[in-house]
Formats: sequence, structure tokens, C-alpha cells
Amino acid sequence: MSKSATLPQAIATQFNRGPLAYAALTLYVLVTSALLLANTRTSLLTDIIFVLFLFGLLLIYRARVVGGYKLALAAALLLGVLPYFGTQNAFYVELAIQAAIFVTLALGLNVVVGFAGLLDLGYVAFFAVGAYLWGVLSTPQIAQIAPGASPVSPSMFYLFLAVGLLVGTIFGILLGFPVLRLRGDYLAIVTLGLGEVIRVLAVNLDRPVNITNGSQGIKDIARPPLPEVLRAILPGLGDAQIYQIFIYLMALLVLGVTVLVVYRLKNSRIGRAWEAIREDDVAAVAMGIPIVRMKLLAFAVGASFAGAMGVLFAAKQQFINPPTFDLLRSIGILAMVILGGMGSIPGAMLGGALVTLLDLQLLPRIAMELSALKRQGIGIPDWFDPAQYQRALFGLLLILMMIFRPAGVLPDERRREELREGEAETSAEVEPAAQSRAASTS
Amino acid sequence: MAVAAIPTPIVRRTLRMTLASVFGPLGQVFLFVVGSAVVLSVVTVLIAVLLRGTRTDVDLVQATLVILPQVLIDGLVRGFLFATIALGYTMVYGVLEFINFAHGEIFMVGAFAGAAFGSVLASSGVLSALPVPLYVVVAVLVGMAVSGLLAVSIERVAYRPLRGAPRLVPLISAIGVSLLLQDAVRLIANLSGLGFNARFQTPNFGPPIRLAEIPVSPDRAIPLILDVRALTFIIAAILMLIGLNYLVNATKLGTAIRAVAQDRPTASLMGINVNQIIALTFLIGGALGGAAGVLFGIRVGTVNPYVGFLPGLKAFTAAVLGGIGNIPGAMVGGIVLGFLEAFVASYLSLMTAGAFSGASYADIVAFGILILILIFKPSGLLGEAVSQKV
Amino acid sequence: MALLEAENITKVFGGLMAVNSVSLTVEKGSIVSVIGPNGAGKTTFFNVLTGIYKPDGGTITFDGESIVGLRPDQITQRGIARTFQNIRLFGNMTALENVMVGMHSRLRSGVWGAIFQTPATRTEEKRARQRARELLAFVGLERRMDELAKNLPYGDQRRLEIARALATQPKLILLDEPTAGMNPQETAEATELIRRLRDELGITVILIEHDMRVVMTISERITVLDYGSKIAEGKPEEIRTNPRVIEAYLGRGAVVEAQMG
Repeated sequence: MSKSATLPQAIATQFNRGPLAYAALTLYVLVTSALLLANTRTSLLTDIIFVLFLFGLLLIYRARVVGGYKLALAAALLLGVLPYFGTQNAFYVELAIQAAIFVTLALGLNVVVGFAGLLDLGYVAFFAVGAYLWGVLSTPQIAQIAPGASPVSPSMFYLFLAVGLLVGTIFGILLGFPVLRLRGDYLAIVTLGLGEVIRVLAVNLDRPVNITNGSQGIKDIARPPLPEVLRAILPGLGDAQIYQIFIYLMALLVLGVTVLVVYRLKNSRIGRAWEAIREDDVAAVAMGIPIVRMKLLAFAVGASFAGAMGVLFAAKQQFINPPTFDLLRSIGILAMVILGGMGSIPGAMLGGALVTLLDLQLLPRIAMELSALKRQGIGIPDWFDPAQYQRALFGLLLILMMIFRPAGVLPDERRREELREGEAETSAEVEPAAQSRAASTS
Repeated sequence: MAVAAIPTPIVRRTLRMTLASVFGPLGQVFLFVVGSAVVLSVVTVLIAVLLRGTRTDVDLVQATLVILPQVLIDGLVRGFLFATIALGYTMVYGVLEFINFAHGEIFMVGAFAGAAFGSVLASSGVLSALPVPLYVVVAVLVGMAVSGLLAVSIERVAYRPLRGAPRLVPLISAIGVSLLLQDAVRLIANLSGLGFNARFQTPNFGPPIRLAEIPVSPDRAIPLILDVRALTFIIAAILMLIGLNYLVNATKLGTAIRAVAQDRPTASLMGINVNQIIALTFLIGGALGGAAGVLFGIRVGTVNPYVGFLPGLKAFTAAVLGGIGNIPGAMVGGIVLGFLEAFVASYLSLMTAGAFSGASYADIVAFGILILILIFKPSGLLGEAVSQKV
Repeated sequence: MALLEAENITKVFGGLMAVNSVSLTVEKGSIVSVIGPNGAGKTTFFNVLTGIYKPDGGTITFDGESIVGLRPDQITQRGIARTFQNIRLFGNMTALENVMVGMHSRLRSGVWGAIFQTPATRTEEKRARQRARELLAFVGLERRMDELAKNLPYGDQRRLEIARALATQPKLILLDEPTAGMNPQETAEATELIRRLRDELGITVILIEHDMRVVMTISERITVLDYGSKIAEGKPEEIRTNPRVIEAYLGRGAVVEAQMG
């Protein structure tokens, strides 16, 4: 595997072996957790610690330790340290929630772009459909469409997660069916156009019947009621704080389910068919794979995630308007997938987390530091706000990745690596692939 | 087979041949201009007649007829705008089979170059003294130079290293370039004091030309006017299209471009420097985009870093509509799309009593057309000049 | 009864008659070859049979059913498998996975099965893996099943393509130049493998082949195409001496020479 390992790789391998791996990993996790809990004020230092803390998750994923230990560590970080830290500092939990939502979206888009090789530039359309679904039905906006109708109860939220999934799927099939026969680059432009159409409709469907409330957006969107259990578990906290942790846990749960689902799909007959189509569609069809149907399936699966996340997003934000769902959002999600590595599940997760952090933490932080400098009399012009330069960020990211690392930061290592390891460690009788798959899913 | 398509170079071109190869395609474009104008006008009037009974406040037919000439002029301007931008898409596609997603931004940069040029002239006080035709020529040349060079540099930096990679790789890079350019121009515009919404300063073009008076009722007549800026746009666009046709169809360079488009390896065996020709294609396409940007700026008065996006997308639609890779096709596609948009934008509100805003739904119409064309006639109106390699 | 009956197949590209009214009847359990000079339309003919191109004229009956107008995947499902002249494996998938992709149309499990890992899905996957191993063993690749297809040596890639085609459980297999670029040793092995397809698995074989030794030793009937048209058909010995065939391959002079000698 490592015939010509570079020095850093060699060092990494050295640490990533035997008991040393356990010790190093545990130490890292403990130190970053302790640092995080010791610095609860929002500052540049905390930013750095927070990123290092999250980096621990990547280390856990890569470390050579048994699956159970990985799971325990990850659970401790995500379910223990982070929520507790959140009770001290809401900003970072909000960041974690956003990251979880966008990682989930990146995983969904990864099914379309990475697994099936379909460049979808209008992915956010399905997200918008889910968000507007909950936004319209849970607010008095509904009365504008059907006079006399009253909003659905907030406790219906959970049902609407499923409805969002379903509506996303339906839209995916409706929009995908006419265009999936197109060649790759045409498909990209057409999906971009469809995404814009959805946004234009969101702006303009306040007439003749007011469905979306136009560019004003929909406000006061209902949130699911706070489960009483949480109040009991987290005594002494204000409702707002508990609520935030509640949303965080929910986003994490949805993310977890999504990860499981995409892993299983990838390692199935369907995942193989997608990969075959991506590799060589002529050979794939000659092997009996109905290409259009499989592409449609990928499109629908991706859209279904976006639909469900749209419902969650609307409930979390409590306000949606058309600019939330513009092309830049689609491109941002695409950048996550590409940064991590098309087709790679850990890649999409890393990419989603990185881009969200860059976008919501790093750029605003630079902006803040700059304005601090300005207050000290250093000439930074008023109009220069780095947080407003997302396009440049995403653009550079896309160009540089394509030129220097088209397979992404965490490329799809695929089962083959795991297969070989599994073979070496177990006897030839058992199924090495199935085993290592089970290990990698956990 | 591919070799046979390259004309033998020994034959000396007669003037008649040159004229035929330049104006032949333009004749086709002209036919489409007239044809689509007539068809759309007739259909619109018919709809107006059918819907006449639904409105009591205005006479739909009369209202339709009164604005019709203005809609046609508007359509023509839009059409030439899309056509000039579409040429950049189609030429690059013809040679590389690659959608230069950043082409809309190259158009936008041209517009900003024109705005910067105007503001420099204005601050030195010579702008108002400049004769309009001279100003237009120089401003367009500035836009062409800036955009052309930009397109070539982009090709060199962001596309050439990716040649031979899977199709989607350069496309994603192009999307990146497009976003980066938007923000880069925004930054530069702010730095240089042009501002986000940059004023496009020009000499005074004078009052609109009154073409005729349309009598609405015995005591009222609506003047039919032609904006000088719109006229400038149309004339300049026509001149550029003639120039491009000459370049591509009647010069050695054009032959080389067409040869590379047909079969890159063979062209390179014939001693054509393929990289140079590709760069040249980007230069020409970019220059046309830049010229369109300047003309657009002259017409609308202000530009911002995002003005390239929608026209770019629509111009791509136009290129596909005409048959991507096909130069007369891009012109035809642009004109047809321009007319369609103008009609929807002007008449949709009128016909639906204001229930739908025409300007917004015109965009949807453009994408709808794109999807329909790609599904039912992917080779476009004029088919593909370059045959698909199997 | 004939397994495949193609009648008057015509395929036109632009103005070019790539395949011009070609008929071919293949009996069940036979090995037949389609030969002809480069550009004679052999591969286009294969592409029409497998549904990648729609014929501009003619009928194709397979196993008593018309297959004209069916999609390639539907034709594969009906029992026609193929390999490609310029090997088209899924390069970044392992040999085993390539074969498992071939089984796609014979497996049932869908999205829900995959997501919930139902017992049915798990058994099916297990069986599929087992079957894929057997197929790899059949072509002699059992030791390389976890290697990426693109890393396999050329001869193994050809064999993997055959294993992948077998995974679709075909009644008829179309092999497009299976020995192209092989040395004599590899060619002999490939010839043996083709024979085993028929003898051990009972699969009917149509072969496009340039190596005349392979064609003459293995095929029961031979069809010769030239410029898209069928110019001869018959047993190997008939083809060997057919003047039109010799002309197509070697030019008119050779015919005269052959007749003189």
C-alpha cells in the first residue's frame, strides 16, 4: 500500500499502529475537548480550537482502532462535549447545526454527482421545495391558498420530515425524467436552469394566488414542540438553550441516518450500477443496467434528502425567502462534494464541514478582525467585507481542486483497500468484503 | 472523411466566392429574423383576438398592435445581444466540445471595461466632446481587447491543464472561474471607485428617432420611436457578424479553426498549431462577448458584476437552440430567443390582466425552451455543422 | 430451431451504408464467425444486434421474439451478452465487482432492500458474490478478483470481459475480436476458452475475429462482410477458397494467383 510513502505519511503510519494509535487518539481528543471547554468565549482562539476539535472526528475515522472504540469516542464528542459546550456558547452549536444540515445535503448531492456522475447544479431546488412545504403549511400563509384553512399543528413536524422526503422524491422524478437522457454537460446547464426556475417561481408565485409570499418570504414558521424529556435531562437551562440542543440532536440524528443509508446504497447492487454508469455508460447498458431508470433513482434519492432537510431547515430558521435558495447555495453544496472527493462519503462529510466552517466562521471572523483593525485606525475601506466574498471562495475552490486534486481531499478509497486489508487479516473462507464493510459502516 | 471537408487551399478565392461565403449564412439569419418576427406577431395578434372578450377595460387587439413595433425592436436588440454572446459559446464548443461556463462573465468584464473607459474619458473631460460613432468604435474595441485577452488567459490557466480530463472536470473549473470573476470584478470595481452599480457614461446619443405616428383614436397618436442606442446596438452587431463570417468562412485562419473543430488530431498532423487555434478561438469568442458587453452597457446605462449571468445562460440557450457548434445557428438561435423573450415580457401581463409578470416569466420561457430543444431536437434548428464523433 | 435470425439488417450513417441488408441465422449451440476487412461493418452489425444502434431496416428475432427497438439493457436481459473490441471494463472497480455488475439484471434487490439490509438482500448478495467467484474461476481469474480492472494485464482484461458477459446469464454471446493483440500462447488459451463457453456452458457464440487460424479452427459457419454487405457465407473450408473473399482481403491479383496456383 505504501510503497513510496512521504515522510509525513511515514510518521502518520508510525503513530497509527497498535497501542500507540489508541494512546495518541485518546490524548488528542481529551486535549482538544479540554481546551474547548476551557475557552467558551467566542474568539479567534476558540475558532481554532473548535476546528481542531472537529478535526478529531476525522482522526477517529482514520485511526486504526477497533470500531467500537471509534464509535464510543465519536459519540462522546458529538453527544457529550459538543452539546455541553453549546450550553456555554450558542454560536458554535449553531455552527454545528448548520454544518450537520449542509453535510447531509452534501451527502445527498454526492449520490447524484459522486455515485452516478450526474452534475446537478440545481440541487437547492429540492431543498427549497421541502422548506416551502413546511413554511407554507405551518403558517397562516396556508389561508392565502385555501381560504379558511388553518396551519398544521407544529407537532406534525416529524410527519412532515417524511412528507418532505416524499415530495422531494416526487419533484426529483418530475424534474429528472425529461432531462436525464441528456449528456453530462447539457444536464448540468439544464439543472441550473431548473434551479433558477424554482427560485423565480418562489419570487413570483405571490400572484395570482399568493402561495410563496414572493420576495418577502415566509416568517414565523412553526418549530416542533420541545420534548419534555430534554427539559428533564438538562435541568437549569433556559428553554432557548435546550431548544438549540434539541435542534442540534435532531440534525445529528438525520445526518446519522443519512450516512447509514448512503453507505448501504453505495455498497449494494444499486451502488454498483451507479458506479458502472459513471465509469462507462455504454458498457453499463450492455451489461443489462437500465441507465435512465438508475439515473432517475440517483436523482430521486438525492432530491429526497434535500426535501427532508428543507423541512428541518425551515423549522430551524423560522424564516425563508427566495435568496436562501439561489444558485450560489447549489454551488456551495457542489463545492463541498468536490472538495471532499466526488463519490466519497467521508469526503462529502469533510467537505461539507469545511466549507460550512469557511463560509460561516472563517470569512466572518476575518471580517471582524478587519473591522477591529479599522477601529485602530488602519485604513480598511468600509465596503470590504470578506464575508461577502463567498463566490470568490467557492470559485477558487472549484478551480484549484479541478486542477490540482480532482479526486478531492479525502478521495473515495473504495472497498478495494478495505478488501485487501480484510483478506490479509482473516482466513480466506469468510467473506472479507462483507466483514470490512460492516466495520466501515460503524 | 474529415479531411475531405477542408477545402483545398490552392484555389484562389474570387470576390464572388468570398461574398457568397460571408453573406450566405447571413441570408439565412435574415430569413429567420423576418420569419420569427412575422410568426410571433401573427400568433400574438390571434391570441389577442381570441381573448378580446375577457377584457372590458381595454381593447386587447388595439393595445397589442400599438406596442407591436416597439416589441419587435426590443426583440431585435435582445436577439443580437444573445447572438453575439452565443457565438462565443458556440465557437469554443465547436473546437473543444466544452461549455465555457464563464463566458457570461467575460461579457460582463467587457461591459465593465467600457464603463471604466467611459469614466476615464469623463473625468478627463473629453467624453462629451467625442463624436458618438467614434466613441462607440473605440469603446467597443476596448471591450473587445480586454475580454478577448481575459478569455485567452482563462483558457491558458484554468482550462488547458484540464484538456483530456473527463468532460465534467473543465466544466466545474469553468463554473469556478465564473464565480471568481464576479467577485474579482466586484472587488476591482469597488477599489477603483466605479462602484458595484457602475454608471456607464457615454456622450449624448441625442433624442430618440421618431419613425412614425400610430393613430390610436382620431385625437390621439402614439409615436413609434427608435432609441439611438438600440439602433447602435443593432448596427454594430450586424457589422460584427459580417466580420466574423468573413473571418471564419473566407480566410486561412477560419479554415484552420474549422479544421480543428472537425478533427483535432488530424488538423495537428496537417501542421496546424492546435493550441494556437484554440487560443484564437477563445480570443475571438471573448472579443465578441466583450463587444456585446460594451454595447449592452451603452444601452442600459449601468452595469454590475452579476449582469453577465442571465444573458450568459440565455445565450447558451440560444446556441443550443440554433445547434451548438454551428456559427449561423448561434445567430439564428439568439434572434429567435430574443424575439420570444420580448414577446413574453411585453404581452404576458397584458394578456393575463397583470396576473403574471411578463419580465419574470420571460426567464422561465427561456429555460423551458432550452429543455424542450435538448429533449426533442438536441441538434438545434440548424443541425450540427460539426458531425458527432462516435 | 435458430436462436438468432437477423434478416436484411441495414444501418445508414449519413450517406454511408455501414451495414447493407445483411442476414444471419445462428443455430442454437453453434459457434459462428463474422469476418471481413477493417471497416466492413462487423462491429456496427454487433451494435445493431445488441440494440446500441437502431437498424434502419430489417428484423431481428431472438429466441422466437423480435428484439428490434428494445433498449440494449432489455436485449441483455433477454439473453444476449457481448464484449467490446476496445475493451470496456469498469476500470476503477475490482474484477469481482465488474462481474457482479454483469449480474445486475438477474438480481432483484432494490433500494429498500439495500437500505434496510433485508435478509433477502443479504442472501442474494452473498450468492451473487459466490457466483461471481465461480465465473472468475471459469475464466482463470480467481486469483485476481480483488484487483482493479485497469491494473490487470491485457489478456486478463479480455478474459474478465468474457466473465462479466457470462454474468448476465446469456444464451448468446457476441465476442468482438477476443484475441486481438494477443500472442500465440494467449490466443490458443482464448480459443480454448471460447470453445468451453459452448461445450461446458452451452452458450451460442458469435465471433468477430481477424485471426484466421482462430476463425478456421473454431467456427462452424462463417459470414464474410465487405463494405457493409455480406459477400459470402458457409463452412470454413468453403470460405477459404471463395474467390470473392480472397479478393476482399487481398485484392484482385491474389484471386488470379490463387486460381492459377
